[in-house]
Amino acid sequence: MNIRSTGVLVAAALVAAVGFGCRASGPADGPSAGVARTEDGKPNLNGIWQSFTTANWNIEPHSAEAGLRPEIMGAYGAQPGGQGIIEGDAIPYKPEAVAKRDENFKNRMITKITNDPSRFDSGDPELQCFRPGVPRANYMPFPFQIFQDVNQILIVYEYKWAMRPIHIDPQMEAPVDSWMGWSNGKWEGDTLVVDVRGFNGHTWFDRAGNYATDALHVVERWTPQGPNHLQYEATIEDPNVFTRPWKISFPVYRRLEPTVQLVEFNCVPFVEQLMYDPLGLYFPPGTGPDRD
Amino acid sequence: MGSAILRSVLGVMLAAMSAASVAVVMAQAPSGATPTLNLDNTDAAIKAAADAAKRDAALKNYAPPRTAWGDPDLRGVYLTATYTPLQRPPELANKPLYTEEEAVAAFKKAVEADAEVDPRTVHYDWKEYSMDAWQGGARPSLQTSLIIDPPDGRLPPLTPEAQERRQLAAAAAKKRSPAAGILTFGNTYTRCILGLGAGPLVRGGNPGADSAAAAAGVTAEVQIFQSPGYVTLVMQSNNDVRIIPLDGRPHVSDKIRHWYGDPRGRWDGNTLVVETTNWKDRRPSVNFQGATDAMHLVERFTRIAPETMQYEYTMTDPKTWTSPWTARGEMPRVEPNLLYEFACHEQNYGMINVVRGTQIREREAASGGRPAPQRGGGGE
Repeated sequence: MNIRSTGVLVAAALVAAVGFGCRASGPADGPSAGVARTEDGKPNLNGIWQSFTTANWNIEPHSAEAGLRPEIMGAYGAQPGGQGIIEGDAIPYKPEAVAKRDENFKNRMITKITNDPSRFDSGDPELQCFRPGVPRANYMPFPFQIFQDVNQILIVYEYKWAMRPIHIDPQMEAPVDSWMGWSNGKWEGDTLVVDVRGFNGHTWFDRAGNYATDALHVVERWTPQGPNHLQYEATIEDPNVFTRPWKISFPVYRRLEPTVQLVEFNCVPFVEQLMYDPLGLYFPPGTGPDRD
Repeated sequence: MGSAILRSVLGVMLAAMSAASVAVVMAQAPSGATPTLNLDNTDAAIKAAADAAKRDAALKNYAPPRTAWGDPDLRGVYLTATYTPLQRPPELANKPLYTEEEAVAAFKKAVEADAEVDPRTVHYDWKEYSMDAWQGGARPSLQTSLIIDPPDGRLPPLTPEAQERRQLAAAAAKKRSPAAGILTFGNTYTRCILGLGAGPLVRGGNPGADSAAAAAGVTAEVQIFQSPGYVTLVMQSNNDVRIIPLDGRPHVSDKIRHWYGDPRGRWDGNTLVVETTNWKDRRPSVNFQGATDAMHLVERFTRIAPETMQYEYTMTDPKTWTSPWTARGEMPRVEPNLLYEFACHEQNYGMINVVRGTQIREREAASGGRPAPQRGGGGE
């Protein structure tokens, strides 16, 4: 048996064992009125979408606060308040994991650029233009585009131009850990259910330091509610840091401008000074040894 | 199939373990797709590649299947690596095409050169990780250069403006400080801003594990993804993505500039024609050959056989060349139909080492030691 067919079997077994988490409640499982469909009768998710929450600041409920550098950023950098996207008031962390989350928050702007993996010990990955992972990519304040084919669905996020294929047929076990994880999808009625594993443990959920490890397992449910919005729900588990699985949910809206398109956010050049200046390897254009 | 995945995983492990000192290390993301080849027998693999090229050349007027929504079906992962050089070597002037025997001989020579890597640049067995192009499925070609127009197979003469740019850049390089940083000693590839196929896709072969500018065979896959109204190109290298709308919409405002340009596509029979404008000034950058942000790129994708995509592109930049030029190559289709994450910037350990290493070499050169390394990246 080759590795690929093993992967399919493993994925199938996981589907059977986990049952893809809880089912969404409400009328969404049946054919929804006004939902566009593809040639094969599935809901047509093609398009540019965006969510509008403050969850990228903190997925838990949070007040408005001054920003990270109020002395120079003023209201530009301030954090808006928001009710969060989690079910309940708090993520069910194990006690020691709460301490780690608080440490993450304290060190969210402390970047440490080394040429070994200890560079991932500190600093919000977003600050450093690293891939945001799942589910964070879905609630960052940037649009994303869904490209839907029968056997694969591709999501391209404007932030960092991060992309993520969803494998419907064939499915496959994650061949290697990654930032965006490995996504296998299937349709349950009108809901696209995506099982995401194979994370590398470096991603955060938000700027507040909420995090998981490489044992993170996310089951997403994308359910159209009409032509121009869908409900996103994700069940999140990681026995290393959480006492039980927990859920997030929020609506995602279609961008309706007639010629809307993603506008590149290739943020690498925006973080080079932050990351390489402390090493003496960056001089702003036209200055210092780089002036030529 | 299993071995392809295994090789990819090995590639990732290698990337994770290495903190070596050269740009090419960054190219050690997994090689996404590999056809079934006899990896133990170079001659058999070369023969198979030659037979595939011959088989496809004999197939005339192939009509690809259609997608469910009626577009020509170009879907799949294709290999962009080739040993055919962009420009015709001077010794082959007036010889645009090889005979079949000559083509196989030239391919074999390139394969052998590719297997020999400079130990100062690569400190492991290049072949063991399938990072030489032939193991990825590159095929012999009758063309002696990718450039088919101008007919001499060479880039057109530079405009006076471009000549001056080049002279200024060369003069600046001579007096540059060895303490310079990433903006001088890095390029868009080593800085993880753009991958090796960010447009145009095929750059031409310079086999061997030379600098980023030359390594045509690593992570040289593109996935062509189709959905109603769009063709989307995902490159294995740096996971660059080019989203191509087919609905005839105008380009974005001239004020908006993209690293990947602003592409618009249309069907010309079974050929996908993509016109890309609105580039950022991305010099020095691989594949741009020193062009400016005025570059106008027209690409033509034609699936000429079940397993072969013909890829032709024309580059026009009146600020750089005195005339447009056109290159043509073939991209073999490879399996499996998926790519892997290429998190380049996230673990760009190479950036630190490349720049520090270059600073050391520059100081050595300044004190009369060994010559300074060439700055990678192609272009000015």
